[in-house]
Amino acid sequence: MIGRGPAHLLVAPGLALVAFVFLAPFLLLVAMSFWSQPEGSLLVDTTLTFKNYIRIFSDAYYLRGLGRTLWLSVATVALALVLGFPVAFWIVRRAGRLRRFVTALMLLPMVCGALLPTLGLVNLLSPLGIINGTLKTMGLIDRAIPLLGTQIGILIGLVQAFLPLMVLPLVAVLDRLPPSFEEAAMSLGARPAQVWQRVVLPLAAPGVLAGAVLVFCAALTSFVTPQILGQGKIATFATMTWQQASLVLDWPFASALAMVMLGLMAGLGGLLAVLRRANWAQT
Amino acid sequence: MNWKTGWSVAALGLALGSGALAQDYSGKTLVVGTWGGDIERLLREHAAGPLEELTGAKVEFLLGGSGDRMAKMYAEKSNPTMDVTFQNVYEAPQALSDGLVVAPDESSAIYGDLWPGMNDGCYAMSLVGLGIAYNKGMVTEPVEWADMWKPEYRGMIAMAPYPSSEGDGLLGVAARLVGSDEHDPDAAFAKVSELGAPALNYTSLDEVFALMDAGEVAMAPMISGYVLAALKEWDNIGFAFPTDPGPVLVRDMVCQVANSPNPELAQMFIELALSPATQQAYAEELLFGPTNSKAELSHDAAADTINTPEEVASLLQLDWPYVISQRADWTERWNKDVLGQ
Repeated sequence: MIGRGPAHLLVAPGLALVAFVFLAPFLLLVAMSFWSQPEGSLLVDTTLTFKNYIRIFSDAYYLRGLGRTLWLSVATVALALVLGFPVAFWIVRRAGRLRRFVTALMLLPMVCGALLPTLGLVNLLSPLGIINGTLKTMGLIDRAIPLLGTQIGILIGLVQAFLPLMVLPLVAVLDRLPPSFEEAAMSLGARPAQVWQRVVLPLAAPGVLAGAVLVFCAALTSFVTPQILGQGKIATFATMTWQQASLVLDWPFASALAMVMLGLMAGLGGLLAVLRRANWAQT
Repeated sequence: MNWKTGWSVAALGLALGSGALAQDYSGKTLVVGTWGGDIERLLREHAAGPLEELTGAKVEFLLGGSGDRMAKMYAEKSNPTMDVTFQNVYEAPQALSDGLVVAPDESSAIYGDLWPGMNDGCYAMSLVGLGIAYNKGMVTEPVEWADMWKPEYRGMIAMAPYPSSEGDGLLGVAARLVGSDEHDPDAAFAKVSELGAPALNYTSLDEVFALMDAGEVAMAPMISGYVLAALKEWDNIGFAFPTDPGPVLVRDMVCQVANSPNPELAQMFIELALSPATQQAYAEELLFGPTNSKAELSHDAAADTINTPEEVASLLQLDWPYVISQRADWTERWNKDVLGQ
């Protein structure tokens, strides 16, 4: 048996790496969000100030951006759930030998990163893309319907990108749900809709919650999809932060925007913890 | 050594005198930040190659957007790793005022060779103008700025993402169309927002030209140079320099980074970049107007570039230091008023 000392030492390199590449820059980010830029300069004044946060919460533009980001994230969760539940159910109950293949297909967008599928969607959604091209060829439209550079376009991209984050936890939960439960409910006279409503859905709730949290956080902080499919015309919190950091070069303000996003996620995490505790208390 | 390189080496030798040449820079690496593609190729051929041959030093290019280089300079202010950087005119004066670059040396020979009034924060590298690219089948010539506001083109104007020289230029033009100038941002933004949200926020020439060719985009304010070179492949797309007001003068600048590791090599590189040989190649191949008054251009290149003092005088010059000071406010305003966010 290895003693406590050596075991701790084994963790040390990993911890040191995390401290160096994550924790130190993160602390700098926190500090920088309370710094500012002097008038007419892009240099940083390290006097502590709340003015970045005051600007975010007093300017309707940033509040609208926050609202837009939240709405897109919630809509992504809802659509991913509606589309993902039947897929997860099918994988668990009906896919049979195809199960591994279909699961691998589901994972594909996650494995190949956000950029490739998003660029594929550009070909599909652009004014000269497949959808508009087909409609034009059929004589249904003269000018392209705007899909890129709209919230609908971003929503399509977000759902496409994060659907696997909903399906996989659902598959894990539904796997543990024996078909005999549904059969028992039916033998007692429940109609299919009632079986879903009173047996399947309540038992799948932990998977729904896990999937919803994963999809929500991924959509909330997503940058590539809103930037490319929104074409710089739709401001979300991530694209605003990038614009401030990379184009305006106001790093303190960009840091404050990032901190607000982080605060939102932490708040959501706290809320979930409370909900879970309440749930346990009930059961 | 080809004849152009030989010419550059000779010119640099003359410019620097034998003292500087006697020094051996072997083992040193000059880091130059610039845009990739044709610009890197021409700089490699006309500035980096000759410099390596002459000094024994190595030149390493750091490729990317000018915003990335600005960010790098601010991040490395106390310990810069880049020696020379190419920036836009909307960045150079800010870099100088924040002490990131060395002010152009007015007593140097090369300063005297450049068109007067062009060095702003850094040395002016090339001259281009903001004009209008348009679908020839949809827009009647001659094309003027005011045409973009005609009702039939509403929602069919493509724009570059803001902040950019193109966006600032359009604001300057819009303000003048209502009898004011860029110091009156209320008037400028009110006029630009009349155009409605852009049909496309273009990030590549192919993207905007494909949509323009298909009739989805009618016009786009664009910067000459690359655009003119690329347009030769599109029969039904034209490019106009309007007259009321004239095209907006936009410049690429070459800067010596302050406190960089290799200041002498940086100066030598900048002199080569500004030499007639490099400037002629920029003009002939990319249609970027030379800033060096000694550059001699072919008839074709001269026709498509801004290359005489009279042409420069016909251009609209913005108060760039003022425009730069408004960058943060105007970015927010552009997002709100123009993009409707």
